[in-house]
Amino acid sequence: MPPAPVEAPEVPILSLAGITKRFGAVLALDDVSIEVGAGEIHCLLGENGAGKSTLCNLIFGLFPPDAGEMRLAGLPYRPVRPGDALAGGIAMVHQHFSLIPEFTVVDNLLLGRERGILRRAAYSEKLRQLAAAYGLPLDPSARVGDLSVGERQRVEIVKCLVRDPRLLVLDEPTAVLPPDEVDAFLAVCRRVAEGGCGVLLVTHKLAEVKRVADCVTVLRGGRSVATSRRPAADIDSLVRAMIQRDLDTLDTAMASSLGMEKTAAVPAASRRDGARRSDALQIDGLTVRDAVGSLRLDQLTLTVGKGEIVGLAGVEGNGQSELGAVLAGLLQPTGGRLFVDGKEMTGRSPREITALGIGIVPEDRHAVGCIAELSLAENIFLNRIGQFARFGLIDRDTLRRQAQEMMHRFDVRAAGPEAAFSSLSGGNQQKAVLARELTIDNLVFLLAAQPTRGLDVGAVEAVYKQIDAARARGAGVLLISSELDELIAVADRILVLYRGRIMGERSAHPHEREAIGAMMSGHPA
Amino acid sequence: MSLARTMPQTALRRWLPPASVIVPVATVLLTLLLGLVLIALTNVPVPDAIDAFIDGAFGSGYVVAASINRAVAYTLVGLGFIVAARANLTNVGGEGQIAIGGMAATAVALYGGAEHLPLGLAFLWPMAAAIAAGAAWGALAGILKVKSGTNEVISTLLLTFIGIWLLYWSVQSVSLLRRPMTTSATLPESLEIPDPARLPLLTGDPSAPLNIGLPITIILAFAVWLVLAKTVFGWQLRAVGLNERAARRAGIAHAGITVAAMAIAGAFGGLAGAVMLQGDQYLLKVGFSSGYGFDGLVIGLLARGSPLGVVAGALLFGFLRSGGINMEMVAQVPSAIVMVIQGLIVVSLAAMSFWLDRAKVMR
Repeated sequence: MPPAPVEAPEVPILSLAGITKRFGAVLALDDVSIEVGAGEIHCLLGENGAGKSTLCNLIFGLFPPDAGEMRLAGLPYRPVRPGDALAGGIAMVHQHFSLIPEFTVVDNLLLGRERGILRRAAYSEKLRQLAAAYGLPLDPSARVGDLSVGERQRVEIVKCLVRDPRLLVLDEPTAVLPPDEVDAFLAVCRRVAEGGCGVLLVTHKLAEVKRVADCVTVLRGGRSVATSRRPAADIDSLVRAMIQRDLDTLDTAMASSLGMEKTAAVPAASRRDGARRSDALQIDGLTVRDAVGSLRLDQLTLTVGKGEIVGLAGVEGNGQSELGAVLAGLLQPTGGRLFVDGKEMTGRSPREITALGIGIVPEDRHAVGCIAELSLAENIFLNRIGQFARFGLIDRDTLRRQAQEMMHRFDVRAAGPEAAFSSLSGGNQQKAVLARELTIDNLVFLLAAQPTRGLDVGAVEAVYKQIDAARARGAGVLLISSELDELIAVADRILVLYRGRIMGERSAHPHEREAIGAMMSGHPA
Repeated sequence: MSLARTMPQTALRRWLPPASVIVPVATVLLTLLLGLVLIALTNVPVPDAIDAFIDGAFGSGYVVAASINRAVAYTLVGLGFIVAARANLTNVGGEGQIAIGGMAATAVALYGGAEHLPLGLAFLWPMAAAIAAGAAWGALAGILKVKSGTNEVISTLLLTFIGIWLLYWSVQSVSLLRRPMTTSATLPESLEIPDPARLPLLTGDPSAPLNIGLPITIILAFAVWLVLAKTVFGWQLRAVGLNERAARRAGIAHAGITVAAMAIAGAFGGLAGAVMLQGDQYLLKVGFSSGYGFDGLVIGLLARGSPLGVVAGALLFGFLRSGGINMEMVAQVPSAIVMVIQGLIVVSLAAMSFWLDRAKVMR
């Protein structure tokens, strides 16, 4: 397979010139030009909503640009469907995996590639060759559902590599990986590029850019605002271009969410002041088995004190979703008990859980946290729309007015309270969900599951400000995140979840980072 | 988009009905035109067919009233359909719910002591029984869905077969609703319901037999609009329909909402059965409904959630059906062709709404 034929260096594999794309009133891309050369890693950097994914989808042929020209190896390139992109030698790894968990690795590779008789042996051989060439160890006959997230990503990459691509597009591939797997992944990227393939790597983590990028383009608000061929040297100006403000003004939580090596040196005074407060949440031997009987949570025991933020670290898929669903009242545990402020909440309905003073910011905002087709106002008061009822009719004026107040108080920016929730940016959606959950009467405990996933820097800051304020008012907070740096910056102490159990506890201090990272990968401290 | 470019358009638009009216009407007319081509291909003289159609649909006070009575039944089933559809539930059981409602109304009208009740209760009491029976029949599908996850399309369809065969059984068996076989008439049908249990005629003129079912239906269409658009319950239906998991998390009783939505859909079906029996047929027999439930389902689908759309669709189908039947009888247009034309109208209306949506997205 590698090395693929190297193109003449002066002709880039992919060049975009003056690309513009408009969705309704929103200008998603505005006159963007980018070139990706053979054998180079081109990083596309930008906050969420900057247009990175739109650009990837254009390249992959999911929709056409309104203006501008794309060229593939010097020839005009106008894809109208992903098949055209694949035929042109462009392969893409999407943010969300597109694998069938019940299939084996090799069967996933065969998907859409074969007609008639399946040539499993030939593909297994191809897989072994690729594995050796790129350092991507994989067992062809393993069931994908049994693989770790990192391994699944390897399968996605191999799925691309079997096509011998000229250009590999990776849309935020490191978001789901534990720290040690990120390094291995970046090494694979480098090897792919060395084989002569162009790599377009989308990310919002500066640390990664610093380590692998040959070239960087920064997008902001759909425009390309900076380009650099020496990213490591220009890093400060790239940050400024990306977030439009100076690095020094970033607080630690934000800096770490960007993957900057600038984590908290001195813990905030309010943190870790020793004295054990009474418990906001107590989980006792919580056990959850899924529909097929596998253990998702295994005798999980933890407590969250009032006025403290407990970080729950761990690679996704180790029981975080199940824990969140149990706390939200959407999943009945197989065993164990839960108490909030000393009151039993095991087996309570979502309505009763809300009445007990528990706020839930669910990890899947779109599926559980909101109803995207309803208005912003309706979503802010989703769990208490009844309070606006007058003789059974909804008093829209009061609803609008109170929503307006909430928008002001929690800095939710939208066209107005009647705006469709789906028209809001991810950050404003999350602020609205927080507004709803933090204004629950007598808030005792808040679960914040992946609260900053997919948010831009400004929104991350706002979200943590609100969570911190809830803590200051005496609520206990359980913060579930796969971003270890964020947890270290924000939490008071950190528990590590691995295969449904607590692997250990560490203080939230930067020098514990390695020990926590090891526990996340299953090595007991 | 500049103001200058949009101005002349809005000036023109002021003189035209909105696109949501013009486009469906044009679609139906074009499809009817296509229907005429089909009729010409069957060697029936086209003018004869048109005459027969107009005569059958609008020719006299009687046929107009009959068309409207048809539309009333369609509207009721369609209203039930859109209430359930608001919760993302598809009620295909209208036909069975009509049968159950018809049986309940017949039983109460004949043997429930309704005849001697004062103040209109003589006809309201069988109606209430039909509503309750239809609601129970619909709720059954809702309960199955909540308790065991049975898809409501499957369960309402199968409950329809059960309902229809229960009706067959009830009019075959003298111990149930079949009229005593001592008389000369031995057909499998019930006795005629007594006069007080029949729906009062609006005009008192039997040559234009519009009954009180019409105003009741108009009021109900308004009520459905009000409930869906303005009330907490309507909002909850919508929330559950859009995202059941998020609605559940927000503390909305999704199980109760699901059962209630199906019960309401069933209640409308049951009421349609009562109106057909008490307003038009006056006795229960095999083939009592003959497809009203399924036509109502199609109308509910085409209305896309709008009660006004249900009324419009029901009127269209009511007159089409009457005209079509007359075309079959008088002009000898094959009944298959009439069915084909009605099918074409459904398909072209569905295609039209698809294109309207696309145009909206593109803009």
